[in-house]
Amino acid sequence: MVMTTPYRSSVQNPRDGFVQLMLAEWTKLRSVPRWSLTMLGGILVTILSGMLLAGGAGSASSGGDGATRGISPQYRDAGNYVHRVLTGDGSIVARVASQKNNDPWAKGGLMLRADAKPGAPYAALMITPGHGVRLQANFVTDIPGSSSQAPRWLKLTRTGISVTGFESADGATWTKIGTVELEGLGDQAEVGVFVASPDALQLQRQFGGEDIVENTNLGEATFDNVKVEPAKPQQLPPWRGDIKPVAPDATSFHLVGAGDIAFYHYATDSTKTMLTGAMFGMMAIVALAVLYVTSEYQQGLIWTTFTASPRRGRVLAARAVVLGGVTFVLGLVAAFGTFLLASPMVRKGNAAPATLSDPQVLRAVVGTAALLAVVAVFSLAIASILRRSAAAITVVLLLLLAPLVAGSALPLAVAKWLERLTPSAGFAIQQTLERYDTAIAPLPGLAVLCAYTAVALGFAIWRIGRQDA
Amino acid sequence: MEATIEVRGLRKSYGPTVAVDGLSFSVQPGQVTGFVGPNGAGKSTTMRVLLGLDTPDEGEALVGGRRYRELRAPLCQVGAMLDAAAFHPGRRARDHLLWMAHSNGLPAKRVDEVLDLVGLTSVARRQVGGFSLGMRQRLGIAGALLGDPPMLIFDEPVNGLDPEGIMWIRNLLRWLAGQGRAVLVSSHLMSELEDSADHLVVIGRGKLIADTSVRELLDRAANGRVAVRTAQRHEAMTVLSIAGATVAATGPDSVTVSGLPVERIVTLLTEGGVSFSGISEHRPSLEEAYMELTQHAVEFHATAGQVRSWS
Repeated sequence: MVMTTPYRSSVQNPRDGFVQLMLAEWTKLRSVPRWSLTMLGGILVTILSGMLLAGGAGSASSGGDGATRGISPQYRDAGNYVHRVLTGDGSIVARVASQKNNDPWAKGGLMLRADAKPGAPYAALMITPGHGVRLQANFVTDIPGSSSQAPRWLKLTRTGISVTGFESADGATWTKIGTVELEGLGDQAEVGVFVASPDALQLQRQFGGEDIVENTNLGEATFDNVKVEPAKPQQLPPWRGDIKPVAPDATSFHLVGAGDIAFYHYATDSTKTMLTGAMFGMMAIVALAVLYVTSEYQQGLIWTTFTASPRRGRVLAARAVVLGGVTFVLGLVAAFGTFLLASPMVRKGNAAPATLSDPQVLRAVVGTAALLAVVAVFSLAIASILRRSAAAITVVLLLLLAPLVAGSALPLAVAKWLERLTPSAGFAIQQTLERYDTAIAPLPGLAVLCAYTAVALGFAIWRIGRQDA
Repeated sequence: MEATIEVRGLRKSYGPTVAVDGLSFSVQPGQVTGFVGPNGAGKSTTMRVLLGLDTPDEGEALVGGRRYRELRAPLCQVGAMLDAAAFHPGRRARDHLLWMAHSNGLPAKRVDEVLDLVGLTSVARRQVGGFSLGMRQRLGIAGALLGDPPMLIFDEPVNGLDPEGIMWIRNLLRWLAGQGRAVLVSSHLMSELEDSADHLVVIGRGKLIADTSVRELLDRAANGRVAVRTAQRHEAMTVLSIAGATVAATGPDSVTVSGLPVERIVTLLTEGGVSFSGISEHRPSLEEAYMELTQHAVEFHATAGQVRSWS
């Protein structure tokens, strides 16, 4: 037997902490040219398909384009409004003598607003054929009054920024309906009578999309005993509005009008539509994330990885951090690139174009990058559990995309639950509008996907340390 | 830390298949220990357990007195090459070593040093997919040497190499052991370890058959045999057999004799009028010694009532 002095490694201060692991995994990830090409391809596919989709965005809602110029497509703010300026506090009173029953949500009544421009803060007190008397404000507030129909007396009273609505059968005994506060209401406000009526909407959901057809539906109402009563004595300016001529001091009006003043649930989410291109880029990301793991198993490289770093759970964690981080950065490039290149291609409608200064839009764009990053980590976890490329890619794409594709062919309620409960809920982060088919809000949707990812990654880490490599 | 590799009472099965069955041996620093057995004998499994890749059912496998998975910066303590194909074909040789170096916080200059050591500097920036088997073996060895570790584990490092490559690895193994490192190298062919191993651990069907120095094994295998070169092979065999020796023909003009000392053989042949051109004590090859050893092992298994071919 040969005895020698034990050999000592000449390497000084080796370290195998998490930072070293991340650097190693980053080196692995960047050093396979085909993977870099896949990432680049994912970005290009996202942007190009986003541009193609943007060209078609807006055309999904055809027919009567009810969008109101200059405001969010989420709101409709149009109708026939005859109004005059009221300075300071005061009231407007009128009797709705008659109303045409052309739609349950046809509106006829009083409105006070900061100015006559679309999107201005408003309070409207109205009679509807199907839903009685309502006090509504700023598209989202809706306070029900009695279920009375015309003829009916209505009164709106302004005190500061508070506007209170009353109704009465005879113009003498008033019942309060509620009070709303209008932030941004100046000293001068427009007060008057209005008629509006939502477009007749036909919705067809089909495999892979939807078809919305809207037709103008004219509402009609007659008002009498219209009177503006300022708190401070003042010379009221003449009535202004679409019907001409209007006598300067008319007290009765017959108004015919289309359009609606309400929250709109059928708007085309053009930001989401263009970012949908990420769904195609995602396939490249999923394939990359899966191969990043499974190629090591196929080639036996996993043994080298685990002999270099025997603490396997940390290896997987380092991989998740590196891949997630890289995908997030690439996702930002893809999402901002898509937005900048594709938004000019969105069919110019009446609605205000989406801008990055809108927090909802910014959230959707940054969220798309986050979505890609989480999907990458999810794929990595599934790949670590299954260890097979084809199986992992199939499982991930099925879980992510099948609910969306199948959903468009299922009843709406079922489709919504499918989107809430499966990993495809993560796509909700791309929404900028609330629609009739919105299944889950953006952040909770992404949280659902994150939860699936956390469970998959946790299981993968738990198992990888107990399994023979 | 003592750079000793030690396996104690190791047992590992995969489903119903017992891969390693109560194996114990140790690998001392300063020498090359050959780990020999036929394919499927449990060599790779033992090495995988040593490297913390597989968990043993019983017993333990220690490197430097500790379980592999407890090591910190393990590349600086144990270097291993398990599979020459274990690279991503699209990654460049240098990048493969670079990620390994990063994982243990080794300086990038170590990468260039080991590339130089194994003679791959000129192809460092080429993708591994285009490498020959010999180049891959060298790259695998470069990875094992990256942390300059005192213990080395190579699984079939000469498998499929050309003679030049085999020679290179033999010299490398001797050089590494000469520096005081413990080197464990497996092979299913004893001849591959000829001239490189100092010590042998022979296993079959997951069990230890021999744990011996090469010197001892050869002496035992020689077992007093004498090689005789003669043109009259038939006559020589007759004369010697009558005298009570066991004679085996090993070639057209050579026989191997056992059971008689050299002097007696010379006398018998001379008296019998058998001419011979040479007579010497038999020097068995390692392969022969191994065959003899494993033959005994098979016989032992046969008497134990579990005959099974494991070649």
